[in-house]
Amino acid sequence: MGLLSILRRLKSSPDKELRILLLGLDNAGKTTLLKKLASEDINHVTPTQGFNIKTVQSEGFKLNVWDIGGQKKIRPYWKNYFENTDVLIYVVDSADRKRLEETSFELTELLMEDKLRDVPLLVLANKQDLLHSAPASEIAQSMGLHLIKDRPWQIQPCSAAAGQGVKEGMEWVASVVGKKK
Amino acid sequence: MISFSGLYWFFYWHCRSLIKWILRRSTQLCELQRICYDKPAGNPRSSAVEYSLRHSKSPDIGSMLNELDDAATKKTIFGRLHKVLLERSVRTVLRVKKINPNSHVAFVKNYSRCIEHIWGYRQLYHIVEELRLSQFDSSVEEHERKLTRLWTGLCPKVPLEARITKQWQDIGFQGDDPKTDFRGMGLLGLDNLVFFAEEYTGAARHVWSHSLHPQHGYAFAIVGINLTHLAYSLLKDGSAKTHIYNACKTMPSLRAFHQFYCYLFYEFDRFWIESKPADVMQFTFIKDQFEKNIRDLLANPSTVFKINFVVEDV
Repeated sequence: MGLLSILRRLKSSPDKELRILLLGLDNAGKTTLLKKLASEDINHVTPTQGFNIKTVQSEGFKLNVWDIGGQKKIRPYWKNYFENTDVLIYVVDSADRKRLEETSFELTELLMEDKLRDVPLLVLANKQDLLHSAPASEIAQSMGLHLIKDRPWQIQPCSAAAGQGVKEGMEWVASVVGKKK
Repeated sequence: MISFSGLYWFFYWHCRSLIKWILRRSTQLCELQRICYDKPAGNPRSSAVEYSLRHSKSPDIGSMLNELDDAATKKTIFGRLHKVLLERSVRTVLRVKKINPNSHVAFVKNYSRCIEHIWGYRQLYHIVEELRLSQFDSSVEEHERKLTRLWTGLCPKVPLEARITKQWQDIGFQGDDPKTDFRGMGLLGLDNLVFFAEEYTGAARHVWSHSLHPQHGYAFAIVGINLTHLAYSLLKDGSAKTHIYNACKTMPSLRAFHQFYCYLFYEFDRFWIESKPADVMQFTFIKDQFEKNIRDLLANPSTVFKINFVVEDV
């Protein structure tokens, strides 16, 4: 698998575990991304009640990916999963312009969390395959990402369903973790 | 290391023809007849017939299977064609196995029922799959009506204020518009919920009322869609045959699938409450445990899930 070989190449020490937290509004595409990372079938995805976790393991490299439901009622539980996070991946539905403001608000709240301090942030501008999706630059602009100064961050256009841009996003994750440790 | 069961299967495969030949000589009955006379009706008989037919070396039976499989895939085993296919399948087996239908009336009857089970189940899977692949579409009036029916079934006294409203969250959708919640389960998820709310209204409201509990509650509709996934997976991988073959007297219909779903939802709710979850984040653990229990039950050939909903007056 391409993704893993990249991660393997860049990892700095053997047996390294990465804790990756996937957050974002409901219907952003977190579970589809999780399944894509684990090379699983994405045709049967259902709304996440609670959370899903998958471990992708290869030659001593362990990726623990936590996918937490994005429904409003579940968001108060997000904080229970912050501890020891290596990278935060924040997934945005680029086609859902009506909720760009809501998703920006949730991200701003997350960035103020003490337990997520200094944690690198990857924003995935997901669903780029949809006709009316906003380009990544527009999303970065409206979310005010350029104001983030306290951590490494990156925005990556992608389509988790089509598998586009995911690899590039994970390359960034690997590079930023490689530098840090 | 070769296990005992591995050895058993090795010899079984190589001796199967010999054993069949000896039994045929001694009992004067072919394998299908022995199954149809000896095995109890339902899953034990239909599954054994299925196994026997699938392992038959006869080219005629092979082409009969292809014809039935094809019809099930095309979802055409209904009405006249149902009758024609059934008769043809009976004639093929009588001819290949040299069975006299006049002296084996019971065989013809029992065998026919097995055929209906086996290919009714296959056809049911394709019907269910077609529904699953149909995406919910707001521009289709029928789809929209189904949403309203679901709402009315659960809370007839409260009118919906608008099509897009926070009220949907009261019955456990994630946001103000349920349309994005069906996802990989498509219309199947909605149809399952509507069936539960309309056919077993008391039980559905009973379960829904549990889902509203401040500590031990959960999102009714979302959990329902996750249970559609469970029912669908059990149907697809064949595990649900045990229940469907035992529960259906004739061709398994879509109704049988909906009822299977209702059983799962009601039982899941009970299991959830008994598990005393700390919060809704326990869902995946509890659902996995529930699925394991259901699979264990389905591994018993005589299992049939009886709908016996006990509903307290709300």
